[in-house]
Amino acid sequence: MTLEKLERMAQRERQRQEKFERRIFCCISTACLSAGAGQTINALQEAVDACHCKENDVEVVQTGCMGLCSRGPLVRVEDKSAETLIYADVDVDLSQQIISKHVPMRKLTDESIPEEMQELRENLKKARRRKRLEKHILGMDSPFFAKQEKIVLRNVGHLDPEKIEDYLAHGGYSALRHVLQNMTAEEVCDEILRSGLRGRGGGGYPTGLKWKSMHQEESETKFVVVNGDEGDPGAYMDRTMMEDNPHQVLEGMIIAAYAVGASYGYFYIRGEYPIAVDRIRRAIRTAHRNGILGKNVLGTDFNFDAAVRIGAGAFVCGEETALIHSVEGKRGMPRMRPPYPSTSGLWGKPTIVNNVETMANVPPIINRGADWYANIGTEQSKGTKVFALAGQLTNTGLIEVPMGISLREIVYDIGDDVPGDAEFKAAQTGGPSGGCIPHEHLDTPVDYENLSKLGSIMGSGGLVIIDSTTSMPEFARFFMDFCVDESCGKCVPCRVGTIQIRILLDKIIAGSGEPEDLNKLEDLCHIVKDTSLCGLGQSAPNPVLSTLKFFLDEYIALIPAQEPA
Amino acid sequence: MSGVSFNEAILELPMVTLTIDGKKIEAPANTHVLQVALKNGIEIPHLCYHPELSVSGGCRLCIVEVEGYSQPVPSCGLACTDGLVITTQGERLYELRKNVLDLFISDHPLDCVICEKAGACLLQEYAYEYGIKETTYTPTISSTLYQDDNPFFIRDHQYCILCGRCVRMCDEIVGVHAIDFAKRGFETNIATPYDGPMIESTCVFCGNCVQVCPTAALMPVSRKDKGREWELDHKTTICGYCGVGCQLEYALKGDEILYAQASPDGPVNGELLCTKGRYGWDFVLSPERLTRPLIRRDLAYELGLTSEPWEQPDTSPLADRQPKIEDYFIPVDWEMALDLVASRLAATVNEHDPDSVVGLASARCTNEENYLFQKFIRAGIGTNNVDHCARL
Repeated sequence: MTLEKLERMAQRERQRQEKFERRIFCCISTACLSAGAGQTINALQEAVDACHCKENDVEVVQTGCMGLCSRGPLVRVEDKSAETLIYADVDVDLSQQIISKHVPMRKLTDESIPEEMQELRENLKKARRRKRLEKHILGMDSPFFAKQEKIVLRNVGHLDPEKIEDYLAHGGYSALRHVLQNMTAEEVCDEILRSGLRGRGGGGYPTGLKWKSMHQEESETKFVVVNGDEGDPGAYMDRTMMEDNPHQVLEGMIIAAYAVGASYGYFYIRGEYPIAVDRIRRAIRTAHRNGILGKNVLGTDFNFDAAVRIGAGAFVCGEETALIHSVEGKRGMPRMRPPYPSTSGLWGKPTIVNNVETMANVPPIINRGADWYANIGTEQSKGTKVFALAGQLTNTGLIEVPMGISLREIVYDIGDDVPGDAEFKAAQTGGPSGGCIPHEHLDTPVDYENLSKLGSIMGSGGLVIIDSTTSMPEFARFFMDFCVDESCGKCVPCRVGTIQIRILLDKIIAGSGEPEDLNKLEDLCHIVKDTSLCGLGQSAPNPVLSTLKFFLDEYIALIPAQEPA
Repeated sequence: MSGVSFNEAILELPMVTLTIDGKKIEAPANTHVLQVALKNGIEIPHLCYHPELSVSGGCRLCIVEVEGYSQPVPSCGLACTDGLVITTQGERLYELRKNVLDLFISDHPLDCVICEKAGACLLQEYAYEYGIKETTYTPTISSTLYQDDNPFFIRDHQYCILCGRCVRMCDEIVGVHAIDFAKRGFETNIATPYDGPMIESTCVFCGNCVQVCPTAALMPVSRKDKGREWELDHKTTICGYCGVGCQLEYALKGDEILYAQASPDGPVNGELLCTKGRYGWDFVLSPERLTRPLIRRDLAYELGLTSEPWEQPDTSPLADRQPKIEDYFIPVDWEMALDLVASRLAATVNEHDPDSVVGLASARCTNEENYLFQKFIRAGIGTNNVDHCARL
């Protein structure tokens, strides 16, 4: 019954969409919204209204991120009889030009037009004569788009995140349906294991193995938790996923729950993401109404329900044991592992914690098969990775690239080099836990192993490009400051060690350092790395260590020359 | 499992054999290495671990080398498994522990010469053991908050090393959870909700947090400025408040009690005490404390023990002199007091009826004493009018 209903919904939505001659998509994701996409979409809609088109001629759709966030607000025009175009930096004036170019205005007698629209219609006619528009067209074959491979983000920017019908029309929930109808839980675990999918939160632990060990736990109650506590400064991959295609994450979560035998799940979303919280809650509600969540999911005897838990903005709550404490209502502080959450997690019950992006990878893997997925990427790192490309680059935004792509391609092709006279200096991956990769290692393939060999980490996907105007010791201090503030205070190396690292950095940057301070700094970094309790402390010295390794001369230059004794 | 006691159930846990510092040790599976080592007389430094509490793993001092592991592991959370080979001492461990202690000391005032905890402070002990005279880093004290908002204990945050023992004690054993970690990073401290006064929190002032504090962060008010640990005598005794019979230890300077604490080897209470046992001992040296039997002055006159007849003293608040206890009673010896009670009790029973007497026992007596008391009332006096103050 439910299945037929969903099929009908998908069918109806597809037919509805196909009827339109042209559909105009306006990105209302975070970056575009802060660049003024709210006014843009209103202006588009008003202009369309003023055209008085025929029925089924044009539709304005709010949608998610199209990637090139530095050029937002972005608008895409899909026309049945013309090439699809993306316009960048669309303000109110430009949106009128777009409509006047793409949407035919219906001739009407003046009496039948409401007075307040007269002016707008006049404006639209005038707008046609302006020539500014051409400069704002983004070439779809430019390296920014051509070098990307979209699996996770495939439907982001193509559908309305608030409509389950749209997701269904794009083949949504077909993976869940396939899993529930044709696969046993073990088969799902095996399929994910075979695909080579690894945790996208930063750890890189094989997801299939995690699921399998949890599947084997004997417990009546098990939990699935989606980790949406994206805390790295500048990173917004998970945010975009939750805001722009919440159902894909939810679908991945339900499949995970089926595979591990869980009957309840939580989305842990940081409080700074109100839109993500709202969209996920909306997705849960609509999924409930349509029999995708709750008792007898899709009419099978599998039961699963989910709820949202809002974090209070502590970086450490991205660490799974701290996250579990936070979901339980306690202070988010990590604890020692083992026992791992898959043995003893939420309220002592077996729990898997997977990152948003990991979950979003699951439906495409099921739909297209583990073998297809395992063909993408490198030997040990499969699939794609979403990065939030930020810093000193011409093109910044959200990109999805196959594992194994070189940093050079990301920086020079996708990112289109550092703007102005400055030169590329380093790429920082993995946020405050990651390291800086200098120019000479630009050809390193981006995957879990190669990045950790360079003293950095894949992390959750923050990628900051630093140009030659930035001082590396100061850059390292910025991230150290972040860790000083965000340490939970439980273990002494992280709580006291990070502040002592910062004191040393302060001293060196102020120009009062002594030569032995550099050794002391490095030793201290190793102590903090080796003796901290959780991942936060263990990786907090990475920005300092990697800059000491690759940019030692900048540190030495800050140390005043010693007077001969 | 029916018919098997809890202890037997524990004993039935599979035993594993592990090697600690070359010594083969049998231990129940899933107990922790630190616990087993300490039980077997192998010392591993630790600050946050406490045998009564859950494992925290925050102090990083109890790290040990495990054969087959590249990195040292904290032994407090390491489960015993068969064939585990542990080394608790070594150059690398020594260096790492020394470095961790160095970090602790960088956030701890080095005023041991005036600190009352000196001699009983665990951090001081380890600093001595690892030869740390001062920090090699820049001394930076995270919190200088001093809170003496209650009559029982002082919270002096500069000495706090955030081991979290107090928090776990309050949450896990006392079940009150009046305090927890607050703030983040270097500014983390232990606080009541919204850092309100202790007296407005859910705290019951049992002082078990003070007992487990390894440093001078939590100290009894009563010992403030009264002497260092090595000046004190410790007298073990049994708490007189209730029938549980907790073992406690008074710390004395001369005849004066400075504080009370539980002695760790107390068979009944371990390291735990309640508010009364820990803080309710000021009566001991009170000038108002009764040390001899007293009988009422009117009765004493009747019996010819005094020649002064008794008159009701003036109890008006406006009176020049407020009446004292001597105005109502005179002291007598035990023989006289007991004789008097016995004769008057016998007379009452004979003259009226056994049921005219009621016996009320005290919750502070032991079970045995209460048993004897009801026997005395029932068999000796001959009435069932016997009750106990705890029912009131």
